[in-house]
Order: sequence, then structure tokens, then C-alpha cells
Amino acid sequence: MSGQRRAIAAAGIVLLGALLAAGWLDARVQQESPTALKTAADAPGLEKPAAARPAKERMAVTVILAWVWLSIVVLLGFLRLRVREADRVHRMGLHRAGEGAPKGPGH
Amino acid sequence: MKALAAWIEDRLGLRPVAAFMAKKEVPCHKHTFLYYTGSSILLFLGIQIVTGVLLAFYYRPTLAEANVSVVRIMTELPLGWLVRSVHSWSATLMIALVFVHLLGIAFTKAYRKPREATWLTGVLLLGSSLAFGFTGYLLPWDELSLAATKVGTNLPKALPVIGPWLTQVMRAGEDVTGDTLSRFFILHVCVLPLALLAILGIHVFLVQRHGMSVPLEAERDKIKLPALPFWPNFLFREAGVWLVLLGILLTIAVFMAPGVGPQADLMAPAPEGIKPEWYFLFMFQTLKLFPALILGLNGEMIAVLVMMAGMAAVLLLPFIDNRPFERKGKIVTALAWAGLAYALGMSIWSLL
Repeated sequence: MSGQRRAIAAAGIVLLGALLAAGWLDARVQQESPTALKTAADAPGLEKPAAARPAKERMAVTVILAWVWLSIVVLLGFLRLRVREADRVHRMGLHRAGEGAPKGPGH
Repeated sequence: MKALAAWIEDRLGLRPVAAFMAKKEVPCHKHTFLYYTGSSILLFLGIQIVTGVLLAFYYRPTLAEANVSVVRIMTELPLGWLVRSVHSWSATLMIALVFVHLLGIAFTKAYRKPREATWLTGVLLLGSSLAFGFTGYLLPWDELSLAATKVGTNLPKALPVIGPWLTQVMRAGEDVTGDTLSRFFILHVCVLPLALLAILGIHVFLVQRHGMSVPLEAERDKIKLPALPFWPNFLFREAGVWLVLLGILLTIAVFMAPGVGPQADLMAPAPEGIKPEWYFLFMFQTLKLFPALILGLNGEMIAVLVMMAGMAAVLLLPFIDNRPFERKGKIVTALAWAGLAYALGMSIWSLL
């Protein structure tokens, strides 16, 4: 199997895993009973600062975070390809190819 | 589209800038990674501006409403806690990167001629970043932030002649009150951003004007280092770094969101275990080490003067070490290492 195919297969597995994880997390959130918000104002003298938030929002953010990381990995893959291409062009000196060319009328 | 581009070009004349960017090259050597810190600082600054504006929509800088509005942002507004967490953590990461950036420049001696002004503006940017941190710390108006601000604004008082006046200016009065909160808020969202953007503009211009520095050996031996075109080779690499940093920031912000303590009470005694932000810890610990009296003089005053002398030495480093660029400067390197070890040691000690 070539490196490219392996990368695509790995990305597919990660994507599928993320989808399954998202579904599992969402199912857990729906099973949970809704919890009331507790603010710092309601709990005076609280040593640990109150940062309560709905469980559903917390779960949603965690799932989104997983997607963010997945997007970052995919984008890094694209960037790597672009960097390699740009470096190849640079090594071959093609990035300066147009500099010495005679300019047409109107320039 | 071409007509629009021509219209913009006629008005703004951006072609020389584009031509400059197209020709700009980045030297490749063992310290190239330091070049990424500058743009990463800008990334975090941009994130702070965006999240700061979002927070300012709901934050109320008054004695009665400051803490309540922060609690509201964190518990009632959709993703408010995340916006605040990203704002807070991006500030922390930005300041950490500013330290890394500055230390990298100190170790590589990149502050020497002709880059003295770049260093000066860089140190001023560090100062503005720390001022952002200091003013922002009070805004949640909880017990800890009030106590820490009282300690912080009390420091200049130890200075002879101008000390009490400086403290009064910082506090907008004799003590930390609602006026101090308003003052810090205006400084945080208006004065400091304007100052920082102005200094940043000069700093970026100077970096472009003098180009990126190269290692001392290459400068001394006149070695022609390989270079990468800024566009697109280096910028794509930078984009990769930004993406990873963005992921790290979001992850930390989600899992380590800062909270908010009980509303500050001006009449209440200071709570136990007051600690400033991590970047002030070494100064805090240093102050604690100084005795009340040294040779009959006020110990706190001497501590403040010693710290001010240290800051002045950092600011004026290019004029203290003004040797030719290619000289190694082992003393400055040793002092920079000693300073770093001292700051780290004191910070850890303060946390224990």
C-alpha cells in the first residue's frame, strides 16, 4: 500500500472514530438529567470559582474540539503538500523564472 | 475584478509592498524556529482583540456590576465561558511567547547594531503586554483580584518623592475602589491597545527595514546562509504553526477554563494565599525576600529600585552591550541564563 493510500485510510478511520465518539457523547448527554446552573452569586463564599455550564454545551464543545483537531490535521496535511511543492519550485529556481523575461508592450 | 484591483491600486498604491513581500527571504539556520514566535505573538494578539471585543459587549465596569456581569458571561451567555477562557489563555500564551521571543533575541545577540530600536520597541511591547495582564486581572472584581491589585499598586509607593503620587494615579485615589476599576478598564480596552498597536507598527516596520538577523558565526565568517522565500514557503510553514497553536489554545481553554471568585468586598480583609499572575511571581517572591530595613533604609524601596534597575538594564541592553555584531558576548549570555534561572526559581518557590 502506498503512503498516500495509507494516509487516506488512516484519515478515514479517524473520521469514522470521531463520528462514533460524537454520537456516543451525544447519547450520554441526552440520558443525563438537566442540571440547574449554579452561579458564583448563588454560592457566596465559594472557594473554587463557579464555572458551571450545561452538560449538553460542555459535551458539544468537546465534540467540536475533536472536529477542530481533525480539521487541523487535514489542513496540516494540505499545507505539507503545498510546502513541499513550494520548496521544489524554489530548489529548481522556478520562482525567479519570470524575473528576467522581457516585458510585453504596455508594461 | 481587474477593474476593482486597479481602483484599489490607484488609491492605496500597494504594489511596492506586494513586490517587497514577493522578494522577502527568510534565512535558514539553527535558530530559524525563533522567527515563528513573532508571528505567533501576533496570532494571539488578534485572538485577544476579537475575544476582548466580544467580552466588552457584556462586561460592565462598575463596582456593583463587574463581578455579576462576568458571572453572567460565564454562566448565561452561549459559550461565554469559552470566549473568556480563550481570552485569558491567549494572553498567557502570548506573554509566554513574548518572553521566549525576547530571550531568543538576547541569546543570539540580535539586538546589536542596527537593531537597537527594534529591541527597544520589543521591550516596550513586553511592558505593554504585562500592563494588559495587570489591568485585566482586576476586571472580574473578585476577592483575589482586588487583593492582588492592592499589593501591585502599593509597590510604587515605596519609591522616594514620586512613589505616593504614582500609586494615587494608578488607583485613582488613596485606595483601590470603583474608580480604580473604571481606570483599569479604560486602560485595558482603550489606552493600552492604542499604545501597543502604535509600538507594534514601529516594531514590525523596523523588522522589515533591517531584515532578520542571522547567527553570529555566519555574520563573522561571512557565510551565505540558505534562504527561503517568505511567500509562499515560509508563510505556509507559519500557517502550520498557527494551526497547531490554535488547537492547543482551544484545548486548554476548554479543559482549563478560569473561574470567577466571590465579589470583592472593599471592607473585607485580604484573603489567604494572594498570588499574582505567573509572570509577576518572581517579582512577588523577590519582594517577600527583602527585609523591612536594609542599613536603616526602607527594604521595600530598595527592592523596587533594584527591580527598576533590572528593567532599565534589559531595556538598554543594546547600549550596554554595543560591541560589533559578530562578537560572542559571553557575559551577556551568562547574565541572560542567570536571569532566566532566577525568574524560574523564584516563580517555582512562590508556587510551593
